[in-house]
Amino acid sequence: MDALQTEIAIWPAPIAGVRGVGRPVSKEQLIRRLGEFAERGNLGKGLAALTEYVGATHYLLARYDLSQDEGLDFVVCSDWPFDVVKRLGKVMSQLHSKTNEMEKCLSVMQPVFMSLPDDIDIARGTSREYCSITFNVGRARLSLMLLFPQDVILSQESLRDVGLLTGYFASFTTERGARTDRDFELTERELECLFWIAEGKTSDEIAVILGISRNTINNYITSVMRKTATKTRSEAIAYAVRNNLV
Amino acid sequence: MTYFLPHARTGDDAKAGRQQARASKAATLVARLQAMQKQINAKNFAVLRLNGNGLPATRKLSCVLDNWGVDTEAMAHELVSAYGSEMLAHLDTSLLPILWNGTGEHQAAETPDFGRFTQRLTARLLPYSGLALPVRLGAQGNGYVLFLGSYIDVPSEVIIDLHGRSCQIMTDLLGADERRMLPSESLSDREIGCLQMAGDGYISEEIAEKMGLSVHTVNAYLGAATTKLDSVNRIQAIAKAIRLGYIS
Repeated sequence: MDALQTEIAIWPAPIAGVRGVGRPVSKEQLIRRLGEFAERGNLGKGLAALTEYVGATHYLLARYDLSQDEGLDFVVCSDWPFDVVKRLGKVMSQLHSKTNEMEKCLSVMQPVFMSLPDDIDIARGTSREYCSITFNVGRARLSLMLLFPQDVILSQESLRDVGLLTGYFASFTTERGARTDRDFELTERELECLFWIAEGKTSDEIAVILGISRNTINNYITSVMRKTATKTRSEAIAYAVRNNLV
Repeated sequence: MTYFLPHARTGDDAKAGRQQARASKAATLVARLQAMQKQINAKNFAVLRLNGNGLPATRKLSCVLDNWGVDTEAMAHELVSAYGSEMLAHLDTSLLPILWNGTGEHQAAETPDFGRFTQRLTARLLPYSGLALPVRLGAQGNGYVLFLGSYIDVPSEVIIDLHGRSCQIMTDLLGADERRMLPSESLSDREIGCLQMAGDGYISEEIAEKMGLSVHTVNAYLGAATTKLDSVNRIQAIAKAIRLGYIS
């Protein structure tokens, strides 16, 4: 999946209601259509179908692990209005850094409803609340966020189904080019060292485990600290754990 | 039945109560899994959890909950040695459900309308067919919920439903873990503060200055935190603290 492939629709997109509550799609139909889109690697169409199925109007799929800087590059695919996406980027990464790893693990596949910041303008008839479902595909943490009409109540069960299906869809489209930009260009050896350090081993011990010299180990670690822009060994390990590298 | 191990500690009443609560929690999990198993006419269920992080060599799937009865160990071993490595690799890249066929002629696992969104493992390795639902929660609590039987035929709707419930089961298991961790090893605010700053790349001297403490005190806090987190050094303590959610 190309992290930068952002599909942004022109606002106002198809009027809320037409897409939202229009014609109900059966689950079989939905799955058949998804299958076709997946085959062609068409993530946007798949997400649009899922959005329609659950009764929402707009989708945004974001990848958290890349949101280190408060940029927009963590948006994988979206038809949200551009200004909302831009504004939300900051809110999201702040929110993300506030919760700890355990809370993140426990909140997987649990739909949550949050309010958009007050200064964001949205089209009339769209709810100020948006729904977010987080899930993991491999080491990447993804979040599907949905805008929906004011008068619509989304069912928790359908939301969970849609979260899962988005996960399937993302697995399908990522499988071929998996593990690309994730590891920050750290080499296998460097990751191996990081892993053992996180387990509490000293350079001497790792030297014995890997059968290479202690100085080589230290070189690997220095190189890791350079690549990850970290100042100390502790910070490098913290970085690795936070990013699920070890 | 193997279940997440209650710490072998000499029990006073409070602890006994807690263990009882944990046992009843396990019982409800089993009931939920059994209902799911029944829904697709499977013979057994099993929950595998991923141990260890990072490197392929150090990670393995182990069975934490099942209804094989006395055969638990042998069955789990057989399953993991047949499909363990394939399932590990799958969990690293994908969320798609897994199916496999058993050795017998009619031991097939099929889905009429979801073939595209499922992955098949090498057939005829085990005397039963199966459906494995991968669950990836993040740094911890990852694994599979499996249903094993002779002839399994599940439509997409049922797979999605079971998968959603499997996620909930893994989440509940992890939640139980977290509660178990908390009482015995709770860290003080100062210890957490020092750990957080150390993880953010500050050296002891800098932490001391920012917190208005002496370097020795900071090191003592970090040392105490290391002991409480059952770690050998400060770096391991930081890694554990992040995984357990004490610091971010």
